[in-house]
Amino acid sequence: MASLLQPDRVLYLVHGEKKIRSPLSTLYFCRYCSELRSLECVSHEVDSHYCPSCLENMPSAEAKLKKNRCANCFDCPCCMHTLSTRATNIPAPLPDDPSKTAMKKAYYLACGFCRWTSRDVGMADKSVASGGWQEPDNPHTQRINKLIEYYQQLAQREKLERDRKKLARRRPYMPLAFSQHTIHVVEKYGLGTRLQRQRPGAPITSLAGLSLKEGEDQKEINIEPAQALDEVEPLPEDCYTRPINLPEVTSLRQRLLQPDFQPAGASQLHPKHKHLLIKRSLRCRKCEHNLSKPEFNPTSIKFKIQLVAVSYIPEVRIMSIPNLRFQKECQVLLTLTNPVENITHVTLVGCEEGDPEDINSTAKVMVPTKELVLAGKDAAAEYDELAEPQDFQDDPDVVAFRKSNKIGFFIKVVPQREEDGDVTVSFKIRHDFRNLAAPIRPSEEGDAPAEAIWLTHHVELSLGPIIA
Amino acid sequence: IPIKPSGQKGTCANIAAGAVVCVESEIRGDVTIGPRTVVHPKARIIAEAGPIIIGEGNLIEEQALIINSYPENILPDTEGVEPKTMTIGINNVFEVGCVSQALKIGDNNVIESKADLGKNVILTSGCIVGACCQVNTCEVIPENTVIYGSNCMRRVQTERPQPQTLQLDFLMKILPNYHHMKKTVKGTSTPVRN
Repeated sequence: MASLLQPDRVLYLVHGEKKIRSPLSTLYFCRYCSELRSLECVSHEVDSHYCPSCLENMPSAEAKLKKNRCANCFDCPCCMHTLSTRATNIPAPLPDDPSKTAMKKAYYLACGFCRWTSRDVGMADKSVASGGWQEPDNPHTQRINKLIEYYQQLAQREKLERDRKKLARRRPYMPLAFSQHTIHVVEKYGLGTRLQRQRPGAPITSLAGLSLKEGEDQKEINIEPAQALDEVEPLPEDCYTRPINLPEVTSLRQRLLQPDFQPAGASQLHPKHKHLLIKRSLRCRKCEHNLSKPEFNPTSIKFKIQLVAVSYIPEVRIMSIPNLRFQKECQVLLTLTNPVENITHVTLVGCEEGDPEDINSTAKVMVPTKELVLAGKDAAAEYDELAEPQDFQDDPDVVAFRKSNKIGFFIKVVPQREEDGDVTVSFKIRHDFRNLAAPIRPSEEGDAPAEAIWLTHHVELSLGPIIA
Repeated sequence: IPIKPSGQKGTCANIAAGAVVCVESEIRGDVTIGPRTVVHPKARIIAEAGPIIIGEGNLIEEQALIINSYPENILPDTEGVEPKTMTIGINNVFEVGCVSQALKIGDNNVIESKADLGKNVILTSGCIVGACCQVNTCEVIPENTVIYGSNCMRRVQTERPQPQTLQLDFLMKILPNYHHMKKTVKGTSTPVRN
């Protein structure tokens, strides 16, 4: 019954700007706000850039300069796999004595998946293992760079004018800082970083910077406007009659991965440098604390800060479902796991009529009314033979089994709709949470236990179709 | 599957001198194996509906299945069915776990792991059938074709795959140290070493 353990069977509701329902394994828990957070209600920040094949770290400035591409690794233009360098021995004349030949190593790029080699496009073998491969130059690079410079200058001018208007309207005693709006406005034409850096500095210098820029002799960049041509290259005469050589035609994906050239023929597909990947850190938008911060080293998959929901919130999982019948009471076995080390008390409450969060349920559910007690997670429990089993005095009608920090309990489900589709039930789970992140007040003596707060989450379960 | 000999003698394999065929491999029916061919243990060569002739310098790895089977709609007992010979050329590589029912395979082909060739495919020379690719169309694959990817994309490569001479030499030295070999035609149990 592994399908019951599928993550999207049990969804937790996240209160954010949007009400998002997603499995607990994809959620984060901000322990300063004591709330669940999903990927959509946190801000994502780029931590570091690294190449996925050579695992080399790259500082952000260098990455931007190299257009987020690795210097050493290449992608196969045919199947986008990573290319590997292979060596062959070729006889080559010695530089001293042209009549004798010696074996020299020649390197070429080859793809292990589709067997593409750099010799297929006519790239000569290089004598150095790495660093000899160049991407072909884009013939339009100069024009593009000139256009980018011109538009960056234009954007800068527009921003200065906008800021000057705002500053002129302010009263003199107000701090002269750039308005928040200017900084967070979407960067136009890739500028923005220069102006952002002035923000932490003293406000007066920023204004001085404005006037300095005005007085400076900025070299005026003029561009020629693009010219429209009347005549277009005519199609070749055998365009309709020439049979297509299918292996030579590039697919759309292969073509668009090289936007500079977009070659139509496979013999012009040159390898491109490999794209860099990023490591990102997540930050709660309300309290600005970090929820997830990975290690800097690309080879390490651990986290410096990892506030994931599964390590703070008890998790509900479906264990077994009987045959569900329309309007007949069925008993479903669920499990509840306690992720923290202290005892947790959990109360389940059914959703009331007209609950605005309860939009998906198609069945009535009767949850156990008594409070469920979950033992703490004890990592050494399996090795400790002398430990006395804790006696919780469970009601056998409610609790099916108990195993270290997990219990199995029954809920009663009465499907209300006969249509096709899954039976969905929802209820609220209320548990106590001890916030270890809260600062301990120095006036208390001894080990004061952290105060418990009660958290409530809305849980939805998808139990599968009705079996008639 | 009961073995139905095609009427002639030669239900045992004709293994040429110089071939290295492990005892743990399963060879059924009328199979001819050329010199310098290496057949790993657990490889299966089954000549059900006709003889199989394998050339020289081939490498047949573990759990590979080369089978000359009856077409699906013909029962083994039907009379008047002519036995078709399956021919495999030289320097081919059948990687681990592949299944080949193609009746005609040329030279220097590579059939990668878990590939599946149907009965109606004909491989020419220098073709590479990628891992897990199923090719059961009714066609002749042109020379130097590479079939790769989950959608069996194809492309033509400029050079044919190199024959695995180094690997063959290594295996012919090492395999007899760890496995017993099947007897070759000349009656010796150890192959003639190069």
